[in-house]
Formats: sequence, structure tokens, C-alpha cells
Amino acid sequence: MVSLAEDVAIVAFEQTPSHAHFNDSEPAMIMPCVNSVIEQVGMDRHDIDFTIAGSCDYLSGMPFAFVMNIDAVGAWPPVYESHVEMDGAWALFEGFVRLQSGDIDTVLVSGSGKCSPGSYREGFSLQTDPYVHAPIGLDPRTQAGFQAQALIAAGKATERDFAEVVARSHANAKDNPYAQLSGDLSVEELLAEPYLQQPLRRLDCPPTSDGAAAMIIARADKARELCDNPVWIRAIDHRIDSHHPTLRDLTDSPSVRIAADRVGLHDGPVDIAELTVTYSPEEIILRDALGLNGETTVNPSGGPLTGSPFMAVCLTRVIELARAIRNGDGGRGVAHASSGPALQQNLLCVLEGDS
Amino acid sequence: MPQLHDVDYTLEYPYTRTTGPVIGPFLTGLRDGRILGQRCGDRVLCPPMEFDPDTFASLEPDLVEVGPGGVVENWTWVAEPSAKHPFDRPFGFAFIKLDGADTALVHAVDTGGDPEAMSTGMRVRAQYRDERHGSVADVYFVPEGDAAEQVIQPGDEPVTITEHLIGLRINEPLYPHRARFAQGLLDGKIIGQRSPVTGKVYVPGRGYDNMSRVLMSEADEVEVSDVGTVVAFTELNPVQYYGQTETEPYVRCSILFDGTDQPVIGIDIRDMTVDEMRVGMRMRCIWRDPEERSVEDIDNRYGNIPETVYARFEPTGEPDIPADELKEHSW
Repeated sequence: MVSLAEDVAIVAFEQTPSHAHFNDSEPAMIMPCVNSVIEQVGMDRHDIDFTIAGSCDYLSGMPFAFVMNIDAVGAWPPVYESHVEMDGAWALFEGFVRLQSGDIDTVLVSGSGKCSPGSYREGFSLQTDPYVHAPIGLDPRTQAGFQAQALIAAGKATERDFAEVVARSHANAKDNPYAQLSGDLSVEELLAEPYLQQPLRRLDCPPTSDGAAAMIIARADKARELCDNPVWIRAIDHRIDSHHPTLRDLTDSPSVRIAADRVGLHDGPVDIAELTVTYSPEEIILRDALGLNGETTVNPSGGPLTGSPFMAVCLTRVIELARAIRNGDGGRGVAHASSGPALQQNLLCVLEGDS
Repeated sequence: MPQLHDVDYTLEYPYTRTTGPVIGPFLTGLRDGRILGQRCGDRVLCPPMEFDPDTFASLEPDLVEVGPGGVVENWTWVAEPSAKHPFDRPFGFAFIKLDGADTALVHAVDTGGDPEAMSTGMRVRAQYRDERHGSVADVYFVPEGDAAEQVIQPGDEPVTITEHLIGLRINEPLYPHRARFAQGLLDGKIIGQRSPVTGKVYVPGRGYDNMSRVLMSEADEVEVSDVGTVVAFTELNPVQYYGQTETEPYVRCSILFDGTDQPVIGIDIRDMTVDEMRVGMRMRCIWRDPEERSVEDIDNRYGNIPETVYARFEPTGEPDIPADELKEHSW
């Protein structure tokens, strides 16, 4: 078991639907999420000890856009706050670590992103090597295409396997009111579609999405005071592979394997896995690297293939898992967050219900 | 009549980076028509690196020419190129192991738009752009049989700096409250939003009250006076940064319009000197003729009351408001 200085639980969470286009500002998108989590636990915002957000100025299209986002948590009195230029799942990680110090009780975490006004392909090509990759616009969809091709070449997956991931994700999303895409798709139908990024087709790739998510996490005593059904964060770990796609085995994820070991993933049952499957082949790699078998339900929400507001989408995986555990769909599970192209960076978060 | 328009701009950052002892010669080589790899033990790395990717130990610069031919080890077809890609027609991105190298370079392969021409194991060959800048984009690849012989004129100085102008295009409609504010200006009206919680009036509204954390809508909007009080001013001496269009000093001020609780900042004054400005001075907006007004500079974040809607701001001649009464609004 992972040893923690402080037990930490999720006490409230909220997300927006995944919008194809949200025609208002990013703070206006976050604010209802913030208000909801504060209301859920009956707190005054002024009593929250620490606030942290994840967002991306390149997506927002404005320098210091993240400062404007603080409007969403209220401009006065000032907040004690931090920001990560990453998905809100990494804001959660910082909040979780901050609570380990033991001197504060509560953290408000949020993540937000609007992909619709710009081009995430162009923006996220800028997180690649600035000398040899970014100047040729090496974008995440291309790197996902390399990963898909590598899986096929290694005999580890087929285009049919990718289509099966898409069909299952869209079917699962039928019960998810926050999903942007959902429905019954046949594998044959999917395979008849033209390639967008051979060997990937359009639905192997995420939709363009806008959205936000927020949660409150708290130290153990405070968590029990604030709600009847805290969901415990048992461990979080973040690992990175090389940013040179040619220097790693794209058909595997060593960083996920290390993280899974560090969080003690198989120290208990893994009932549910909410995985950041941004491109369908990633699910095949993640299932393998996480060592998941038929006992784990993967992406019951539908996952990012059915709604992918970058910078909120990974935090949303944690929320979907927490909701499923609260609903009694499982007692323990793992949420996976990914950053960088082709699963370059991976974060795992193990959640457990109150027992 | 002037009309509203979508927001459409490109956010640009001109990045310049030093290249260092390994990437510098690599980019110099590309400019001069050859590809260099870095020795690492008994291997050759291309793209070259300053460290051993397995042990992370530093490597002394030791560059060796590789290519110009190579083998495709992995590829994917870009059916819809982005504005940042090397080609505007469909092309392949590939892992290319150059002859003499042990690692692969990611780069673009132009097959004339034909995905059928791509395959793992195919031979490709480097081609150089006519205009080269010491960038990885100076080179691209084609199927070996399609390669043309090129005579490349080497440059003079080694490449020690690489420039990368990044541009992110943002395109979306004006948000509904921004559209109503902009339309108001075209109509010669200043529209504010009144907080349903505190009653304070904000100009322009942001679509929410960030003090009370409440969203605001059209129902919360009010027309405010176009007469107000100067609460702050300064003289701007334009620094010639990238993108600067101003050349001469001018006055910028903030005006608290009557009946509002938040000054409108960034109002530019061209016909008064900084010596003629006073905090507390009463000013009136003299609008341009309706057909001469434009709100092109108003996007979803920037743009309050731009010069393109007013002819000037004119002192009303009323007695000044004591500065002490404006302390809350001095911004």
C-alpha cells in the first residue's frame, strides 16, 4: 500500500457537458462548476484554503488567460492559488500533494479548455521538441497515427480493434448526459469511413470540445465533516516517456507500467478504469500496460472519444470514476490522465469508496 | 451601416532560440544541404542529441554526415494538413532512418498527394527548399525515385540562433454580451451590466459579476451615460516591440461614466496633452458619425471603447469631482 502523510478525499465534483462550441468566455464556463461544488458541501468560498486550476493559454488564445480564469472563483477576497499549464488532473495532483503538508484542509481544483476557437492540432504541436519537431507542425493526431501504425506493424492490434473501441465508447456514452457524441455504431460502418490520419478514421480521433470541471478535495477529518460519502484518493503517480517518438516503443507504455506499480494498482480489485483514450489505439496500449482483465469496466462514461475538452478532460476522468464509485458501480478503480502526444506522459489516480 | 463580425485574429510569438553545440551544426548542415548525425558510442543519432538517450550522459559534439537517402520505418498519412505543416496538400509523416544513422528522424514525405506511394520499408531521399533559414523545415523527403539532383549553395556563418514564429489563429463569434456591447457602440450607446446581487454596474460587462460569482445576461443590461469623470491617466511613449503600431506619445485615460461602478480603461486622447489632463475632470464622448463607426477592434477579451467609435472626448466644463471621491475607482 502507498503510504500517505494525510488521507485525502474528493468531497464534491462538477463538470459541464462537453460542448462542440461554448459561445461565452472560459470563466463563464467554469463559474457554474465552482458554484456547484461549493454549494454541494455548504462551504463559503472564503473558507477554501487553496485554489488551483489547469488550463492552456495557447488554447485560450491570450497571454495570461489563466489569470482571467480566476474570475470564476471570485475576485475578492484574494485566493491563495496556483496554476498548472496542464490538464486539471495535474492541478488535482498538486492539490493532493499540497494537502500532504497537513497545514490546510481544503483545495478547490478546476480544469478548463476551449478547443473550438482555435486549432488544437496547431497549438499542441508546440509542446513537441522546439528544434526538430515543432517547426514542421508535428501534431498530436500525427503522433497518434504513428502509434496506431506501430501497433498494426507489431501485430498487436488491427483497424478493427480500433473500431471496436470507438463503437463501445459511443455506446457507453448513451447513458452519459455530459457526452458530446454517443450512439450505436457498427464496426463495419466505422471501417467503411475514409481515413483522416491513416490508419485512423475521424471517430478514432476526439471531437473538438469545450468544457470545464471542478472538484473539492479535503483532508480526512474535514472530508467527513463536509459530506457523507467521500471518495478516497489512495494514490497518485505521474511518469514520463521520451518526447522523441522514434526513441520509444510506441506499442507499449513503460511510464504507465511504472505508475501502476507505484500506485499499487493491483493491491486491490480494479472495478472501473476511466482512461484518457484520446485516440482509440491508446485504449489497447493502456489496457495492456495497466494489466486490466475482464473484471474491469473500462470507460463506462464513453471517455474522451465522446467528448474531449482538453485541460478538463483528464480531471473529468477522475470525476467520472468518483461518480461511479458513489453510485455503487464499483468499490475501487483507477483514473488515468495523459499529456503530451501518443501517451508520452501518464498520471494514475486510484480512488476507493468509503468503507 | 457598420456591422458586427466574428473574432478572427492570430496570436503570434516570435521565438528565437540558441542552438547549442549539436543542434547548431545540424541546422547549419540543413541550410547547406547536408544532414548530420551525432556519434553516441558505436551508434549515430539523427536527429542528433547532446546526450545519450539511454544513459543521459553528456556527449561531446561529434557529428558525421548521414543520408541523404533513408528508409521509412513508420508512417501515417495526413489527409487534412494543418497550417503549420510543411505541405498544404495531403502528405505522409514518417520515421526515416537515414543511411548511416541508427535512430529515426520524424519528417514529411511528399508523394504528390498519393497515400498509395507510402509504405514501411520504402526508400526516400532528402530534398531542400529553395529558401533555407537554418531550420528543420529547410528539408523534406520524397520517394527515392522522385528525387531531383540539387545544387545547394552553402551559407556563410554557422547557425547559432533559430527563429520560430508561432501563430495561433483564433476564430469564433462574439459572445452574446460582447455582441450587444459592440452593437451599442455602433448605435452610439454605452451598455453596461448591473449585478443582480450587488446592483453595481460594470462597463463593459463580462457576462458575470466576478465579485459575487453570478452569471449575467441581457436582462441585467443597462444603457449608461456617455458623460463621465477621468479617474486615471498617463502618457504612453510607445516602445517599438514586435507588432507595435504607435510611434508618437499620446494620452490614455480611464473614465468612470455616470451611473457606473467600474471605469472604462484604455480610452485614448489625441487632442490633449498630458499637462491638460486632471483626475476628476468631467468628459463627454463625442461620437463619430454612425456610418464612420467601427468595432473591428473589439474581440471577446480586448476592446472597451475604441477610437474607431468616437471622434474625441471633450471636457464638459463642469467643476471637477474631488479626487478623494474617486479613490475606489482609480485604475
